Amino acid sequence: MQKKWADRALLVVFILLAALLYRSAADYPGIAQTTSAKYVRFLAVFIGVLCLAQLGFGLMREHGREVLVLSESPRRFFGLLVGLVLFAIAFEPLGFYLSAALFIPAIGWMLGYRRPLVLALTTAGVLGFVYVVFVQLLSVRLPGIEIF
Amino acid sequence: MEYLAIVFSPAALLTIFIGTFAGVAIGGMPGLTATMAVGLLVPFTYTMDPTMGLMLLGGIYAGAMYGGSIPAILLNTPGTPAAVATAIEGYPMSRAGRAPLALKTSVTASFVGGTFSVLILLLFAPFLARQALAFGPAETFLLALMGLAGIISIADENSSLIKALIAGVLGMIIALVGTDDMSGSLRYTMGMVDLIDGIDFMPALIGLFSMIQMLELAGQRGHEIDTSALHKAQKREKLPKGIGRFMGLGAGTGTLIGILPGEGATIAAFISYNVAKRISKTRELFGKGNPEGIAAAEAGNNGCVGGSLVPTITLGIPGNSVAAALMGAFIIQGMIPGPDLFTEYADRTYPFILSLFVANGVFLAIGLFFAPYLARIALVPPAIMVPVVAAFAVLGSYALNNSVFDIYLMIAFALGGLVLKKLGYSLEALILGLILGPIAEGGFAQGMVIGRGSPWIFFESNIAKVMWLIILALLIPPLYSYWKHVHRAGKAAG
Repeated sequence: MQKKWADRALLVVFILLAALLYRSAADYPGIAQTTSAKYVRFLAVFIGVLCLAQLGFGLMREHGREVLVLSESPRRFFGLLVGLVLFAIAFEPLGFYLSAALFIPAIGWMLGYRRPLVLALTTAGVLGFVYVVFVQLLSVRLPGIEIF
Repeated sequence: MEYLAIVFSPAALLTIFIGTFAGVAIGGMPGLTATMAVGLLVPFTYTMDPTMGLMLLGGIYAGAMYGGSIPAILLNTPGTPAAVATAIEGYPMSRAGRAPLALKTSVTASFVGGTFSVLILLLFAPFLARQALAFGPAETFLLALMGLAGIISIADENSSLIKALIAGVLGMIIALVGTDDMSGSLRYTMGMVDLIDGIDFMPALIGLFSMIQMLELAGQRGHEIDTSALHKAQKREKLPKGIGRFMGLGAGTGTLIGILPGEGATIAAFISYNVAKRISKTRELFGKGNPEGIAAAEAGNNGCVGGSLVPTITLGIPGNSVAAALMGAFIIQGMIPGPDLFTEYADRTYPFILSLFVANGVFLAIGLFFAPYLARIALVPPAIMVPVVAAFAVLGSYALNNSVFDIYLMIAFALGGLVLKKLGYSLEALILGLILGPIAEGGFAQGMVIGRGSPWIFFESNIAKVMWLIILALLIPPLYSYWKHVHRAGKAAG
């Protein structure tokens, strides 16, 4: 998709959001009508006007054909993204240590690092550090199955 | 002399060192804040000697405020929200192989800002606290506006002013999610329990500043980093001439803003950064790695440390959330904030204040000693760096509220932020809107209540009038230079 079209689509979405935000202010109860609702309306009008202005400028001035590229290597980019989501899903059922012990070497490998010993030592170092600093010193409660 | 003897006793020095070192480490870890650390440790100080306990917490506060700048400079991941402005200048310097200079500037400016603010705390605490009482909600709203004026200066020749403003307002709109303080009703939570308290800015911060970087790094074809620049940069670079005035500017601004109840280091850092950008002779280097920006921002946020304690210990009004946690430590020791702290408990209060000078010296030594080594983080292969930073980003997002939802939020911010960034929207403006939005709304709403629905409340007091002048002074020059730039570009095209 060309950048200019992606930008225009985003601006249209923001304008629609601004309209919905403005309308939503009518539902604010009691004292909020004269306080928070006014603030919300101001934000809605402000972003709506800004988006319309940007849309207008864009239509008048932007004629390039530059394509929107999120990543040069989609496999690695989406690999990390999927890895993050799986890490989040596994965070509570598996616990931090087990999920991180899978996540770190898997992502390192996926990104092309091929030295298993370094990956293993790095993972162990991170887990040990988290255990000492977060769990022991700062009393942060980490969820799920703990291997320590 | 008696108080100095307490501070310079071996036990006290060790306590201050441990607190400051821990503070630097905590501040240096994205997701961990000084508030969290001080809040967690307050109960433990109950069993400690009161003076030692307060010194430990004071060291953590001072150290964490500086520590936030380290990952901001090296990894574009501000350890604390107050280090966002530091990342804007520090990270480009790291990329250019000048990380040691950026780190040295940061620690020196932090020391200057911190020391100055503690000196003010020591000398003028009671008097300045009374002045801060004159700040009502209207002035608080205007102070947030002053911080938001920074959005205008985020836009430069390379990014659109309108897009920077859209991003800033978008951040303020995202900050609306949660419970409306005025009515207590829920808004825009879509029935999700996790959104009742609103969107915490830490997952957003980690997503927008840390994960985006990791996603971009992971998605690059060539992963090789040119380390020659970093090796070259290990040779000591001196601090640039004239940088002292930017440190002075930040120190003064940070201390003043720190004194105002409810205002924090983030506003101080952004206002200092913004003013520095206006007065700098090398304005064109801002955003590309200008040590003057780091100097102003870091002196600004560390200036808040002493400043925020002024109303806390004299009036019992916490200058910010860390000061509120510290106030808890005073209270559990039976030291109720007020004049008594300077009379009945003077033997605890003054050593505590003096210990902050030592804490500043300790983090200066830590920063100067470790800075060249810390810069070597950039030598870690991206294939190792990405999963490790990502794991800490996940943990940091989770740790603050023990919420898996915050991890998803962080990922969403990273992905959405990347799209916005690729389309030319300023992420700095977005985060600025997200952080300052609630402060602006709170001040606006309370001001409207006090003014019985009339907006004139925001123009009535003399302080408000002066603040409007300052806001205009902050807005007009960049708007004018932007207009000139657009006009010139239009002529060249046409």
